[in-house]
Amino acid sequence: MKRKLSMALAVTMVASMVSGTGAISVLAEDAKTHEGETLKVAAIETAYGADMWTQVCDAFTELTGAAVELTTDKNLEDVIGASMKSGDYPDVVHLATGRPAALTETLIKEDGLENITDVFDMTVPGEDVKVGDKIAGGFTESSLTNPYGDGENYLAPMFYSPCGLFYNAGLFAEKGWEVPTTWDEMWALGDKAAEEGIALFSYPTTGYFDAFFYSMLYEAGGSEFFDKATNYEEGIWDTEEAKTVFDIITKLASYTEKSVPSNANNDNYLKNQQLILDNKALFMPNGNWVIGEMADAPRADGFEWGFMALPAITDGGDRYSFAWFEQMWIPAAAENIDLAKEFVAFMYSDTAADIFAQSGAVQPLLGFADTLEGDSKLYYSIYDDGAKVALGAFATTDAVEGVSFADTVFGTVNSLVSGDKTEEEWIEAIKADSDQLRAALK
Amino acid sequence: MKEQKNGKSFSLYKVFVYAILILLAVSIIVPVCWVFMASLKQNSEFYGNPWSLPASFYLQNFVDAWTKARMGEYMLNSVITTALALGLLLVIALPAAYVLSRFQFHGRKIINVAFMAGLFINVNYIVVPIFLMFVDGNLFLKKIGLPPFLLNNIFVLAVVYAATALPFTIYLLSGYFVTLPKDFEEAAYMDGASYSRTMIQIIFPMAKPSIITVILFNFLSFWNEYIIAMTLLADPKGGKTLPVGLMNLMKAQNAAAQYGQMYAGLVMVMLPTLILYICVQKKLTQGMTLGGLKG
Amino acid sequence: MKKGHRRTGFVATCIVPATLLFIVFMIIPTFNVFKMSLYKWGGYSNKKKFVGLDNFQKLLGDTKFLQSFQNTLLLIVIVTVITMSMALIFAAILSREKIRGQNIFRVVFYIPNILSVVIISAIFSAIYDANNGMLNSLLSLFGKGDNPVYWLGDQKIVIFSLAGAMVWQAIGYYMVMYMASMASVPETLYESSALDGATRLQQFFQITLPLIWTNIRTTLTFFIISSINLSFLFVKAMTSGGPDGSTEVFLSYMYKQAYTNSSYGYGMAVGVVVFVFSFGLSAIVNLLTKREPIDL
Repeated sequence: MKRKLSMALAVTMVASMVSGTGAISVLAEDAKTHEGETLKVAAIETAYGADMWTQVCDAFTELTGAAVELTTDKNLEDVIGASMKSGDYPDVVHLATGRPAALTETLIKEDGLENITDVFDMTVPGEDVKVGDKIAGGFTESSLTNPYGDGENYLAPMFYSPCGLFYNAGLFAEKGWEVPTTWDEMWALGDKAAEEGIALFSYPTTGYFDAFFYSMLYEAGGSEFFDKATNYEEGIWDTEEAKTVFDIITKLASYTEKSVPSNANNDNYLKNQQLILDNKALFMPNGNWVIGEMADAPRADGFEWGFMALPAITDGGDRYSFAWFEQMWIPAAAENIDLAKEFVAFMYSDTAADIFAQSGAVQPLLGFADTLEGDSKLYYSIYDDGAKVALGAFATTDAVEGVSFADTVFGTVNSLVSGDKTEEEWIEAIKADSDQLRAALK
Repeated sequence: MKEQKNGKSFSLYKVFVYAILILLAVSIIVPVCWVFMASLKQNSEFYGNPWSLPASFYLQNFVDAWTKARMGEYMLNSVITTALALGLLLVIALPAAYVLSRFQFHGRKIINVAFMAGLFINVNYIVVPIFLMFVDGNLFLKKIGLPPFLLNNIFVLAVVYAATALPFTIYLLSGYFVTLPKDFEEAAYMDGASYSRTMIQIIFPMAKPSIITVILFNFLSFWNEYIIAMTLLADPKGGKTLPVGLMNLMKAQNAAAQYGQMYAGLVMVMLPTLILYICVQKKLTQGMTLGGLKG
Repeated sequence: MKKGHRRTGFVATCIVPATLLFIVFMIIPTFNVFKMSLYKWGGYSNKKKFVGLDNFQKLLGDTKFLQSFQNTLLLIVIVTVITMSMALIFAAILSREKIRGQNIFRVVFYIPNILSVVIISAIFSAIYDANNGMLNSLLSLFGKGDNPVYWLGDQKIVIFSLAGAMVWQAIGYYMVMYMASMASVPETLYESSALDGATRLQQFFQITLPLIWTNIRTTLTFFIISSINLSFLFVKAMTSGGPDGSTEVFLSYMYKQAYTNSSYGYGMAVGVVVFVFSFGLSAIVNLLTKREPIDL
């Protein structure tokens, strides 16, 4: 059940798809082969907006002749979840993991996803390149796309976004502060800022600690350690590396603005992000969607977004930025699986990528980040500036009643900040849940 | 006598009473007015102090909510669903409550106990079983060649609302019916009136205060309900009720929030309930003798 | 004979529609909840596995469930005690004292009860906001501004903040209800006791309270039922069970398990516990509050 992951990949590096079967070209130049068919597409509406989906679906119709019935909603789970229970499935779903309703995770646990490994051998509709050759390395090999760790893909990687720490670059320039590169410098800065009444840290909700925590696992022990930890290996949380991660997060909790846990929920998290814009806190973990989210918000004079990978644990140590990405999948119960696979393949066409990019959504295509301009460039070039890519997530298990690992690992941060739980209690809870999940590994 | 003796402490006591009453009243009026005020703010004003006054009267929020967020259409759906559910509920619950409280018959006790037990059933956990039941029902309808109409149908939603409100409504109405003296019916029967005529023409008019209470209570719960509506009106393109539309307007993670529209939507949900309440509030007190005095 | 037939026909016509609707939409779904609580099922696939009472056994060892149990109980107790006593006091004042604007107070106090929980949560998040909230702004007027209170962030306080919102919402409803029953207490009783030199307080405890006791008992039962439901709606809208599970209640935990932890059967087991619990608690309260009814 162990996943073999090679993680030393930069996004812009060329990766080659190795696969047993040869390339199956379903669709070549003879387009419009699907006249009269209808594809049901459901996509979550995020900060990128819903317009790009309408455009992409139109482009797909133009190319293949198949009509697309598109559903977009901010709470997509509420909309499609109920009809899915009744057996009425969309053919293609674009919905990230890690959302509170956990619909994708549920389907993974229930074996409800279609194996789409062959999509990566298909030719991109309207082009003559294989899908697998266009997708940047690593993305199709993490546990987020191969949930069962058997080399088979069940989810396709979509819009990615480097996650790291956001700050007000204007404030740093004004105060003459250096942006910290190690955690030790971070603490020193925290003490300095505290004298001026500024807290070191804020976070929108504890859910944002996923990217943070994963990156820290990489920093502490590299990809091998990350693999062991995310597969709940016995004794892994007692290691030196794990202790380092727990210590840093606990210390960071003590440097966190005290009102943060009050607003760390889905209704009020914008207030925690506002702390950065108001110069009340210096750093927060986030992804580049935050810029769109806070576009209307008032801000301190001279405010300018700054973004960096997580500080290194030791001087000169590796710094990681988690590549958060969304996923697209095909329900196993979908009616038009072939057409759905073609739609997924189409997502990696230049046409689709350009439409998405206009709304700020960036597909994980080789070299695509280089073509970006303006603000986006800053974020997507982070990996060119020496930060390493962190990819992956906790391994999928069968449902364990009463155990939500995300709540245990990330949710407890609220209690660390408020002082309701100690680091030891946190680690003990993680170990207890980890034991149960290990027994339920897929 | 008493009042003269304690004249001083008495007025102090009065001042204290007024202070408490006014404090509570203010704690209600201010936040409600605040919602109205917030609905006039522009989106950027929501990030700062929530208690600041709006910079201008930004009525565009209402226009946007009404058209862009389709709240106008949802409002119509809500009106239809609520009215239908109320009508259905009254037609079904009134006779049932009357018979259960004033007639002796076989099985009366069991039915009464069952409805009492129904008070403890929480809609939040039976909503999905109801939904799954409709799913099976739709499959069955398809099989016998009928259109599957059980889901995404505000009329079916109204039936479910009426059904889930039955235990409380019957309980409330029965409580009132038992207090009425037998003489009225006996006199009517003497005059040769039938059972149904007696019930409709003699008893129901007497129960008017109670009926008004029932209408208000259930109007509030139907109008504000969103968990059943969200589940049974699953089709994203189909009709929704006002509270479900409101939930869509509410901020969702990773999505840009539309605060102005949201508060405009809140006002649209709140106004009809406020108006209805102001209209019937005088009658309300009379009907609320839940399990009232004996004798 | 003919009359007997007519009578039966009338009774049947009146009772059958209500009973049918009730069976189809409440009894059968509830039965299904009980049934599903014996299965392990994620909610989507066809893989349902019968596990007997396993789910209930797991509940006993689930600390998060026990915490939600504790929170629910705590909320029921504080909200009930505060709401009931305040509603009684206000009702007594408004119906016994000559208060100017009595009617206005009565109308205003009822308003929170007609608002949707969504609106109430929007209101209270503005009241409880740590940095700009109304409550903390008021406190800072009295010189307590240095250490703001984290109404929704401090795990020792947040459950009481929720209780505050629930009391605010419910008080008017019960007050109007008690005013209605107090109105039917004969004025002569007060007059004669006043002649005996009874104070207002004595009148309240010796006349008002015993005479509306049946009413109080009934409202108590309803209050327990509605508190379980309302605590869920408030939690869902105000804190999502946070911070760190400290405001999780019965139904919110049921939702989490059934819909986001792929454990539908387990969630339904929580549903069964809620049903049994509310039934049991009401029975206990009913027994404890039993008094000889006072006949006039």
